[in-house]
Amino acid sequence: MDTTTQPTTTQPSAIEKVFAFVDERVGLKTLQAKMLNEPVPGGSRWAYVFGSVLLFIFIMQAVTGILLMFYYVPTADHAYASTQYIIHTVDYGWFLLSYHFWGSTAMVVCVFAHMSQVFLWGAYKKPRELIWLVGLALFGIVMGFGFTGYLLPWDQRAYWATTVGVEIMDKTPLLGDFMARFLKGGATPGQMTLSRFFVIHVMVLPAALMGLAGLHLFLFRKAGPAGPFRGSVEEIKAKTDYFFPRQIWKDIVGMVAVFLCICSLAFWEPIVLLEEATPDPGDYHPEPEWYFLFLFQLLRLKVFAGEFGQFLGAIALPGAFMALLAALPFIDRDPERNIFKRPIALISWIVVMASILIFTVAAIINREFLE
Amino acid sequence: MQPKLKSKVRCTDGEVGEVSRVIMDPLSHDISHIVVGGGSGAGPERQVPMGQVQGVTEDVVSLRLSLAEYATLPAFNRDEYVTTHEVEIAHLEERIHVTPGEVLVPFPELERSVKRRTFFANFTHAIGFLIGFPLAFPVLRYLMKPMYSPFDNEWLKIGNSGKIKQDDVGVQFKYKRKVKEAYMPEQEIDKNVWVLKATPKVLETIYQGKDMEFRDSFGKHIWTNKKDVPYIAFSGKCPHLGCGFKWRTHKTLGQVFLCPCHLSIYDAAGKVLDGPAPRPLDPLPIKVTATGDITIIDMEFKAGTKAQVRIV
Repeated sequence: MDTTTQPTTTQPSAIEKVFAFVDERVGLKTLQAKMLNEPVPGGSRWAYVFGSVLLFIFIMQAVTGILLMFYYVPTADHAYASTQYIIHTVDYGWFLLSYHFWGSTAMVVCVFAHMSQVFLWGAYKKPRELIWLVGLALFGIVMGFGFTGYLLPWDQRAYWATTVGVEIMDKTPLLGDFMARFLKGGATPGQMTLSRFFVIHVMVLPAALMGLAGLHLFLFRKAGPAGPFRGSVEEIKAKTDYFFPRQIWKDIVGMVAVFLCICSLAFWEPIVLLEEATPDPGDYHPEPEWYFLFLFQLLRLKVFAGEFGQFLGAIALPGAFMALLAALPFIDRDPERNIFKRPIALISWIVVMASILIFTVAAIINREFLE
Repeated sequence: MQPKLKSKVRCTDGEVGEVSRVIMDPLSHDISHIVVGGGSGAGPERQVPMGQVQGVTEDVVSLRLSLAEYATLPAFNRDEYVTTHEVEIAHLEERIHVTPGEVLVPFPELERSVKRRTFFANFTHAIGFLIGFPLAFPVLRYLMKPMYSPFDNEWLKIGNSGKIKQDDVGVQFKYKRKVKEAYMPEQEIDKNVWVLKATPKVLETIYQGKDMEFRDSFGKHIWTNKKDVPYIAFSGKCPHLGCGFKWRTHKTLGQVFLCPCHLSIYDAAGKVLDGPAPRPLDPLPIKVTATGDITIIDMEFKAGTKAQVRIV
């Protein structure tokens, strides 16, 4: 046979050779197939995008966070100045910092949406109890990110949110004083507090989040997606498709939408620092970030007055709520997932969301009253 | 029993081939079809729903169909399927027992003679614990280093009483306090206290007929605020959760101390009128000289507790 007439297309290109080399050692094709070919029972839905969107937001927070650390200095005498330098002097510094700030808000919004979706779809039920528990831990980490990141610019807003936040932690029975001093690195907020919050924000929490998010995904893949809460097996089977391409397409659209929202907010509402942090609040009225406002307003209630009342409102109530969420898959063992056939779950969700909304709005109204 | 690969497949009236593949249902995790091929007729591979399978033995799968009925079944189209290696369906592979027997690799010679595997596993954990445990205490002490520091009972000059024009009205005095924290250079931080010149009625509410003693952490006497000295200095930190409060006019309560955070309201004597605060405002040790210079000991108390617990 004349070998010179062999079509050249059968010869693998250099790139194909490299890919084949790597694939032989890593198993890329199998890995890719496994990642993408996950059947989504009942087909792709917009309601399922929040998990992927959260992963995207986290990656962007990590990227912008690393960029901010090129200039930021975590010391009491330079934190404020270096943050101002990022905002006013470094090219696009204002944008990256504002993106990071609004990204954290987007994270909290999407966490609420993600948890609500899982709750309403009854997706925390057997065999997905551990995914739910790890998810709750991730929720705690996201809140921890918000709380620790808030101090870093070292302005009045930062200082007072931390002061009050740590005082609240102090109200935990037995361990409270130790925990508060441990976080502050002393009796009052200062350099030690800044160092500790910085390390927790940029090392401890990201490591914890990456580990737990990995576990969350692993457990999710192990159990498989829960799928819709109604429809017969045949209907669900007929509509089933793979994660790629339809769900990934929806996820990407979700990510783009969130990305554009964050960019717009960063552009039109860039972050502005208050005065440098000092134990004298001056005319500043301390207030936490908006997603803690409902808790802040709750603590103004007369019911939560006094030492015991404060313990009830600041520690016992949120603690009991989190414990209830953690116990949820073990209390609610009814396999029924249709939210319209779970009246207690539906009403509870509406009550919780409405309370958060009402208390947040009340806090905002009170703001006017204080001026 | 699940039909095995390579099992002979028999119709009611004769053999038709052998099981060449099985098809799983991704939702129920059961075998939904077998694919039959390689028969004597050497026709196309055909897929047979499990409903048409009458019985399965170790090496034979018998169908309910006749050869003629079998020939009407749809031909198998490989493109409509992926292998279990190319898809992620949780727990699917655990349910498949279709291969003809187990696939084995030898257990290493050296491993076979190891008797106390559990002992070695526990021993490994014990070693790990012995590495970690002695580190726990030094690490804890390392992190706790700055947490507790002795109180500073130095008197600080904060201003002159000439600034106070009216009795029973809160006047804010701002001052600087020098702080030397760990390795940091000495810094001056802004602080404030509220001072008022109290009428006997307000003094009575604060002191309740007794002088106010201040002691350090060892119980040693530092200072006594005499009950008849009219000047009172309140720590600038709200006893509720540590925000800074202000002197404001309230619609119904008149002139009060108001904390903007959680809306605790105190009267001129520091008594709680409204809001969530657990105790009155904290009076500090105060000295006023004949020329009116005011000095205080800058103390801070834990917020949110009924009892006064000094932390600075």
